[in-house]
Amino acid sequence: MKKMLAPALAALSLALPGAGHAQVKIGFINSITGPEAPIGENLTNGVDMAVEDLKKKGVNVQLIKQDDTGKPQVSMSAMEQLATGDEVAAVVGPYTSATANAVAKLANQYKVPQVVPAAAKEEITKQGYDFVFRLNAPAHQYAQSLIDAASELGKPKTIAFIYESTDFGTSVAAAGKDFAQKKGLKIVADEAYQKGAPDYRSTLTKIKAQSPDLVFMVSYVADAILLMRQSREVGLKPQAFLGGGAGFDTAQFESEKDISNLVFSVTQWTPESSPAAQEFADRYLKKYGKKPTYHAACAYASMTIVGEVAQQAGGDRKKIQEALKAGKWNGIMGSVDFRDYEGFTNQNELVMPVVQYQGGKSVTVFPKQLAKKKAVYPFPGWK
Amino acid sequence: MNVFLQSVISGILVGGVYALIGIGLTIIFGVMRVINFAHGDLLMLGMYATWLVFSRLGIDPFVSVAITGPLLFLWGAFLQKTLINRVLNALPQNQILLTIGLGLIMSNSIMLMFTSDYRILTTTYSSSSFSLGGISISEPLLVAFLITAVITAALYWFLLRTDTGQAIRATAQDRDAAQLMGINVQAMSVLAFGIGSALAGVAGALISPTYYIFPQVGSTFTLKAFVIVVLGGMGSVIGATLGGLIIGVTESLSAVYIASGLKELVVFVLFLGLLLFKPSGLLGKTRA
Repeated sequence: MKKMLAPALAALSLALPGAGHAQVKIGFINSITGPEAPIGENLTNGVDMAVEDLKKKGVNVQLIKQDDTGKPQVSMSAMEQLATGDEVAAVVGPYTSATANAVAKLANQYKVPQVVPAAAKEEITKQGYDFVFRLNAPAHQYAQSLIDAASELGKPKTIAFIYESTDFGTSVAAAGKDFAQKKGLKIVADEAYQKGAPDYRSTLTKIKAQSPDLVFMVSYVADAILLMRQSREVGLKPQAFLGGGAGFDTAQFESEKDISNLVFSVTQWTPESSPAAQEFADRYLKKYGKKPTYHAACAYASMTIVGEVAQQAGGDRKKIQEALKAGKWNGIMGSVDFRDYEGFTNQNELVMPVVQYQGGKSVTVFPKQLAKKKAVYPFPGWK
Repeated sequence: MNVFLQSVISGILVGGVYALIGIGLTIIFGVMRVINFAHGDLLMLGMYATWLVFSRLGIDPFVSVAITGPLLFLWGAFLQKTLINRVLNALPQNQILLTIGLGLIMSNSIMLMFTSDYRILTTTYSSSSFSLGGISISEPLLVAFLITAVITAALYWFLLRTDTGQAIRATAQDRDAAQLMGINVQAMSVLAFGIGSALAGVAGALISPTYYIFPQVGSTFTLKAFVIVVLGGMGSVIGATLGGLIIGVTESLSAVYIASGLKELVVFVLFLGLLLFKPSGLLGKTRA
């Protein structure tokens, strides 16, 4: 039945007006609804912009969007639909770590090239899946970049960890603890907390009593602000506050000048990283009325690469996979190269820029080649 | 030593607000024998009201207590008159379903109106504190605690000294006998639910400057309020006050001396332990 249907459909698509020969079908799985939707929106915008830009370059992408509602099981059925029903040439997405990881297994099974734009969970590219590529940096990079930056700026000897007890919090903190030990830092406090509690003062007081040189925090949006407010209250004063992305990498946190000032954070992308990135940020702002997050940039870059490669390969999945593996690209994310290293497969080795909030504005301070301003170190104390 | 004192003090300050939430729940239960599972959502409404008047009209969260309190009182009275009143004699599970349903409707309506984004109130004093012998005391939390203390004292006075207060207590003690004595138990129920939800709303306003606001924030506090009330003895106002303080201090101390991630566990173990030896709660009377 299926064998008969395929030529029939092919004939139909030829008969349809406007179905150009160069059109490639690409699937895009994302959290369009559900709790992750506010962030998912950035990815959708990035991908939409990429498809428009590709069209200008003569690459005609037929984008098939699937909503995973943030749930792994939904993302898996979306992937099955795209792989066997829509027969897409390649897939971009999904957004969250849990969904991207679930889809990766299917991508490899169906041999559909998948490019993960913004999911941080380490395992996604550590399972030896040939067909799974990741553009963004994995979880351990958050900690590594921050601790590297701090050790370059000063001579910290001790570090305290405080993080929420979720998948994201514990995996970033675990990688951080590993790396801190390698760097010879002494871990003086290791506090996991329950997300959403109104009072962290006692935990912070306990940390203050250890007077650590560095305080490393991992948390989502609102808790990041709460933690810093209460740190100020109890007078916690390390050489530097290191915020492990997420809640520390938001416009809301940035705007809380009183408490965000001189806090370090790490991100996958900033508009400052290159002129192309700045140009993208300006166009995005004009089009959608808000600043692009790193999710938007990662999604844009992923879709651009997949679109170009898929057209050159004529929509052939195996050829796309080979081209992704062999190729190298330069764009708004800097240079992209999917390589095998340190147990990772098809992982782009992205250097995460470290930013510092200075007077309510985030400035890139590390690594040197990306730095725009000098970092303030050590932390001079609360106003 | 400093760490110990610090955690006891922040525990007491946070516990004061917990107590206020618990008192509201316990009054409602005492008078109507209905467990209000929408209590946390009433608190959430209080938070959103506070946020609205703060961001639109620039009214300070602590001043806005005078607006959110009466507003939530009217809303609570309306809910009890139109809906809760109808299930007073129904099976307990039906009452539970009704209040849970009301809670869901409230949180989801707010989500539709204001989206699920986190809102943060930033006041000039949101992270200010002063030091007292090496112990830092959060200013907004201290003010919240003082307001709580004043409200609790006023409530005690109202319940103990005024005729209406005594009528509420009489209704709580024995609904039928109170009715026979000529007390309008219907009106008392409306009043009790109104007061209960006003207290939840005020508590919401008081924690707004130091916490954050989102539509599902209620569930955390519903559970907490429930534990506080059962711990103190269902229906006992003094019990709820005590329960709130105990939970606040226990959380704070166990975060320091055991582990931050395990503080809830400690609270619930304590809770189970107490119920094992005193099933009616700290100050609860066993009902004959």
